[in-house]
Amino acid sequence: MSKIVKKVKERLRDFRRPGYYKEFEYNWTMVIDLDKCNGCEACVVACHAENNLPIVGKDECSKSRAFNWIRIERYVEGEFPNVKVKFIPIMCQHCNSAPCELGCPVYATYHNQDGLNVQVYNRCVGTFTCATYCPYDVRRFNWFTYKWPEPLDQQLNPDVTVREMGVMEKCTFCIQRIRVAKDRAKDENRKVRDGEVVPACVQSCPTGALVFGDRNDPKSRVAKLAKSPRRFRLLEGLNTDPSVIYLKRVMKKSGSKKHGEHG
Amino acid sequence: MDTIKKLVLCAVIAVVTFGIGYKVSDAYFGNRTPAQPIEFSHKIHAGDNQIPCMYCHSYAERSRVSGVPNVKRCIGCHSVIKPDSPEIQKLKNYWENKEPIPWVKVYNLPDHVYFPHKRHIKAGLECQMCHGDVQSMDRITRVSSLKMGWCLSCHTRKKVKNGRDCWTCHI
Repeated sequence: MSKIVKKVKERLRDFRRPGYYKEFEYNWTMVIDLDKCNGCEACVVACHAENNLPIVGKDECSKSRAFNWIRIERYVEGEFPNVKVKFIPIMCQHCNSAPCELGCPVYATYHNQDGLNVQVYNRCVGTFTCATYCPYDVRRFNWFTYKWPEPLDQQLNPDVTVREMGVMEKCTFCIQRIRVAKDRAKDENRKVRDGEVVPACVQSCPTGALVFGDRNDPKSRVAKLAKSPRRFRLLEGLNTDPSVIYLKRVMKKSGSKKHGEHG
Repeated sequence: MDTIKKLVLCAVIAVVTFGIGYKVSDAYFGNRTPAQPIEFSHKIHAGDNQIPCMYCHSYAERSRVSGVPNVKRCIGCHSVIKPDSPEIQKLKNYWENKEPIPWVKVYNLPDHVYFPHKRHIKAGLECQMCHGDVQSMDRITRVSSLKMGWCLSCHTRKKVKNGRDCWTCHI
């Protein structure tokens, strides 16, 4: 009896363990070059437009219910004449061993075969566990059912569901665009090419700081950039193994006067 | 003992009533055969005259939706064929007023489902597998439940690659 219980427990653990897939078919990865990011927030706007995100307004933001799947964190260092500002775009890191996946009581969030952290809106009951577990604070909760008044409802993306009240959501790496690329690839009986999938944030980035692709393909741009000596990942100490790789910003030391103002 | 018997009886009655009610509501109030603005008969077109499905629903091979043919396609044949029939007169009215025909959608999937017709046709499925024996229907009846279990039963049986992943169909 105890043997069976043990076996079942092992199976369950296998199932629930993030990174259940030992190898991903595609390992979607985003590389963000912080040296190129100038904090213009074009990615935030593009994400809002692409993924039918509601505009929650000032009141909700003041209750720390700001709604965005990607946000620009800014770090200001130093006193006035010698100010350095650093920007860092943060979206769902699609961790390969994600803390959020452990907590969900209804399996609304899990890891799929492409290395994506899936959020299933239909299953979500809004227990908020995933948002509590997430160390990056990227999950957003629909406190209300937002309406798009006429004629703004015309701007909604038909490929993306409009979420309702009580559902947790987060960045999907623009799964609808991945899906289109995969569809095209399947027609031509090949794998998705590098640069074929372009999420909204990547598309809109004016400086090209964001790069998206499949890390399993060694010739892809992300695979090459991921080997850069500047690479780091957010909160690496937590061992979440994120799929978003940042390239460190190279700055002159604060003593240097020439570039002091610009940072 | 008596109370247990009573409880069991109550439970059985409840289950049976629920089952009957469910079936009845599904069959009579689900409206699987809605009335259309024009009494268009698939039996005459696809059955008797052997017009292939893709002649009118031409987008099924290359897009998510199979598409309803535009009025031009209807009028293309019907300016010659049976132009005096009363149903064709309705069609002519739409054509002359430059209005689309307000067909009632029979197979209506919710918005949170991504269902590409293209993929299913390229996989070699027949239209009749989901839409039933259309060529013998005068007015289209929905034959499949369009529930997720129904989709998954096929995906499981045919061992579709990634066919059971949530993000294959949802978002």
